[in-house]
Amino acid sequence: MAEMWISMGPQHPMTHGLWTLKVKVDGETIVDADPELGYLHRSVEKMGERRKYFMNTTLTDRLCYASSTTWTHCYALSVEELMEVEVPQRAQYIRTIMLELQRLASHLMWAGAYMPDLGHITGALYFWRDRELFLNLLEAPSGSRLLYNYIRIGGVKRDLPDGFEQKTERILKLFEQRLDEYADLFENSKIFRMRTEDVGKFTAAQAQNLGITGPNLRGCGTKFDLREHDTYEIYDEIDWDIQTREAGPGYSDCFSRYMVRIDEMRESIKIIRECFKKMPAGPTMASKIPVRATGEAFRRTEDSRGEALMYVVGDGSDRPYRWKIKSPMFTTISACPHYLKGYKVADIPAIMGSIDICIGETDK
Amino acid sequence: MEIKAFMKEVSSVKGVTKVGLVRNNVVKCNLDKEGSKDFFVKLKDDFGFEHCSLITAIDNQPQFELVYHFSAINGSVFVKDSSAAVMAEIHIFLDRDTPTVESISDLWFGANWHEREAFDLMGIYFIGHPDLRRVLLPEGFAGHPLRKDYVYEIHEEEW
Repeated sequence: MAEMWISMGPQHPMTHGLWTLKVKVDGETIVDADPELGYLHRSVEKMGERRKYFMNTTLTDRLCYASSTTWTHCYALSVEELMEVEVPQRAQYIRTIMLELQRLASHLMWAGAYMPDLGHITGALYFWRDRELFLNLLEAPSGSRLLYNYIRIGGVKRDLPDGFEQKTERILKLFEQRLDEYADLFENSKIFRMRTEDVGKFTAAQAQNLGITGPNLRGCGTKFDLREHDTYEIYDEIDWDIQTREAGPGYSDCFSRYMVRIDEMRESIKIIRECFKKMPAGPTMASKIPVRATGEAFRRTEDSRGEALMYVVGDGSDRPYRWKIKSPMFTTISACPHYLKGYKVADIPAIMGSIDICIGETDK
Repeated sequence: MEIKAFMKEVSSVKGVTKVGLVRNNVVKCNLDKEGSKDFFVKLKDDFGFEHCSLITAIDNQPQFELVYHFSAINGSVFVKDSSAAVMAEIHIFLDRDTPTVESISDLWFGANWHEREAFDLMGIYFIGHPDLRRVLLPEGFAGHPLRKDYVYEIHEEEW
C-alpha cells in the first residue's frame, strides 16, 4: 500500500497541549513520525535574563500548570546553589511536603487525561475529583489553585496554616481508599489492559540513550530517581523506596508506565506522613538572601515527568546572565519516532498519553 | 570506577584542561573544540555516561560557550559511600566567527533536539547533525534571539 503522511495536531485530542505529530503510515501501521513543537514558545529563558532573580519564580510557575511547584523549586534550588544560600530546616520540610503534594496532583492530572485517550471518560472524572482535593491542600498555604509562587529563593513564602496536618491526613486517608478502588476499576479491567499491555515498548538501554527519564525510565525497571541519586532537601533523611516496574526483562509498555505512577502516588503519601512527623519548628526563610550573584551553578531535581535541570550563570548583576531550562518532556517527545514505529494509528493516543506530555515546559 | 580515578583518567586525555569538582558528584572540565568527538566517544563507551542531560549555549561576547551535562545512570563511575549519580560538565569555547562544533547526536539520541535548540536560539552549527532545523521558532525566522547582540523590534521597558 502507498505510504502517506498524516498530521495530528496542533488541535487534536491526542496532543494534550499544542504540538503537531506527523506520522507516516503504511495502511494502519506507523512507519515514521516527526514531532513538531513551538506553538507555545514564550521565550521564558530570554524573559528571565531581563528580570531580577527573585522575579523569575513567577515565570517558572508558568512552565507547567500541572506541576508548577516542582519547576519553581528547581529554579530556587539552583539559584540558592549559585548564591550559596542556606535554607532553614523547616522550610526544607515544607518544600518536600509541597513537592510531594504537587507530584500527587500532577500524576492525578495525567491519569485523568490518559483515561479519555483510551475511551474511558469516567476515569477522567474520578481522577480529577481526587486531584481537586490536593489542589485544595496546595491552595491552603499559597493562596492560589494552580500557580502557587509559594517556594521562593531562600525558603518558602509563609508557614503552613493551622490545622494543615490534620486536613492533609484526612485527605490522604480518603485517597488511599480510593487508590484501592481504582486498582479494581483500571488495573484489573480487561479492556484497559488490552489497550495498554505490549503497546509502546522500549528497553531501558534505549530509554537512557534517547534521553527518557523519570517514571518512563523507572517503568523499564531502571532504579534511578534523582530524589535519591542527586538528593536535595531532606529526601535522604526520610525512609522511602524508589518505585520501579517492568513489562518484561528490562523493557516497559504503557501499562508498566501507568503502574509506576500509581506506585509513586502511594510512596508520596508515605513521604508526606513522615515529613509531618519529623518536621521541626523554626524560621521558614533564610535571613540573608543576596541580590547579586557571580559564577555558574546547576541543580537537577526529580520533576513529576523526569529529570528537571536548571543551569544559571550570573555576571555580578541582579539578573541572570544566562538561564537554561532542561525539560524532561522535550527529549522524550523528540524520541517518539523510536517508540511509535510499528504500532497502529489507533495506538498513538495510548502511547503518547502514557508518557505524560506537558507542552508548557517543553516549549518553554 | 571511583570518581577520583575518573578525574585522573580524564585529565590525561588530549585537549582536556582544568579538571575539577563542582560538587562531590559533579566533575567539570574544559575541552578543546578540535578532537572533541573522540573525547565524547570515550565518555560514552569507556566511562559509561549513558545519558546526555543538557546542552547549553552561552553567548559570552565575543566568545560562545557550550556546556554539556552528562549523567551516569547505572553507576559505572561512582562516588564512594554515596548513592549520588555522577555527572560530567564539559565546557567547549567557540569563536564568534566560526560557531561550529561536531554533533554528538549519533552517540546520544537525547542530544539531538538540544543541538537543534542551540542552533535555533543561539546559532551554533553542529556538523554532522542529521536534521539541523529550527525547533521552537518558526521556519524562516531571522536571527537567533538568545544572542546578546540580537536587536528587539519592540520598545524595551526597564523592569
